[in-house]
Amino acid sequence: MKTIPVNPEQSPLVILDLLFKLKIKDVMSSPVITAVRKDSLRTVQHLMRDNRISGVPVAERGRLFGIASIDDIIRALEGGYIDDPVERHMTTQMVVLEDDMPLSFGISYFEKFKFGRFPVLNKENRLVGILSSRDVSASLLVELHNEYHKLEAKLPVSAIRDVNTVTRGFRVERYDFENAGKAAHAIKKILSEQNYPPALIRRVAVAAYEMEINLVVHSLGGTFTFHMDPEKVELLAVDEGPGIPNVEQAMQEGFTTANEWIKSLGFGAGMGLNNIRRNADDFDIQSAVGRGTTVRATILLPTGKDAPPQTP
Amino acid sequence: MKLEAVVGALKCQVIHRGGNFDSKDIRNVVASDLMSDVLVVDKDHLLLVTSLPSDQTIRTSDIVGAHAVLVVNNKTLPASMVALAQEMDVTLMQSAVSKFDACVMIGKLMNPP
Repeated sequence: MKTIPVNPEQSPLVILDLLFKLKIKDVMSSPVITAVRKDSLRTVQHLMRDNRISGVPVAERGRLFGIASIDDIIRALEGGYIDDPVERHMTTQMVVLEDDMPLSFGISYFEKFKFGRFPVLNKENRLVGILSSRDVSASLLVELHNEYHKLEAKLPVSAIRDVNTVTRGFRVERYDFENAGKAAHAIKKILSEQNYPPALIRRVAVAAYEMEINLVVHSLGGTFTFHMDPEKVELLAVDEGPGIPNVEQAMQEGFTTANEWIKSLGFGAGMGLNNIRRNADDFDIQSAVGRGTTVRATILLPTGKDAPPQTP
Repeated sequence: MKLEAVVGALKCQVIHRGGNFDSKDIRNVVASDLMSDVLVVDKDHLLLVTSLPSDQTIRTSDIVGAHAVLVVNNKTLPASMVALAQEMDVTLMQSAVSKFDACVMIGKLMNPP
């Protein structure tokens, strides 16, 4: 079975172009969750469980010594040596990628070597990231979406549509509070520049921000996309899991699964989904445990005589 | 109510003085440490009073279009929060008074007896 449904040699030009243009560092997961050599295999097992990952590089101060996979853990459990230090059983014969290599190179590695992930080193041979097939698929989806809208914008449609159609995709990582809100800020700026009324801008910005925060707090990572045309703003959050067991319960105001750390940052009060729905003209949520959640919110923009005056 | 009145009454230190500081008119106040609660407030001309000194406090006030953020309880502000307030041009003030006292004092400023 192919891990990535893209052939680096025989794909449409637009994909080949993307595979070459994107560098490994644009796509990899970073920072990396690592273990040190003296850590026990049990510690590594906990790292895998808590972070829902299937491979942990063993590194100290950026220097990579090996990698432990879930197979190593299974063998340790069967062999009764789970409390041994990881350095005794980790894989040291590794295939690594460099962060400046084009993505096409990374994809060919997944075909050539049957590993689920590759550690990524920089020029100084320091561990800077890890590339899994999930990272590749997720970023390709976002990039293709962007390319699609770029190409669509080149079509000879009305001038107003060309000016007012904007599509942006953002990758959102789990627990990355530092970057949560950047997408919402960008949308707010675009709407302000086009002179939409402040109350409407706030509705869009709040819905977008809540969606970003939800991705950071509750998902394993995902993508946030917004598409705007003269009639509406569409916000779309697609994550890679874990999925919501009971969507009806999750929609109840005050219901939350957030931990104390998230609450100490001022979030996770169980208001988010409802607040998105309240601010949107159309709202939809689909979720499947083990697969992920998709949230879509649409906010209609005033058109015709109600449309805001455009600054030249 | 002008921001300068708040600065005077609560002995605030103005960490970042945003654009139009003098002309901004505060008509509504939200006092909360829970940004989730701030995000459901649907009001204009807002002042956010909080004892949560974080980057997300600044982002949240930018998203809801608040005129200013007042951090009470003499909290230490992280450098990243100050930098973000400058970058987003969100007025950021700090005061030693407690959140309750801040609310009482601001209430008196807004509705003089």
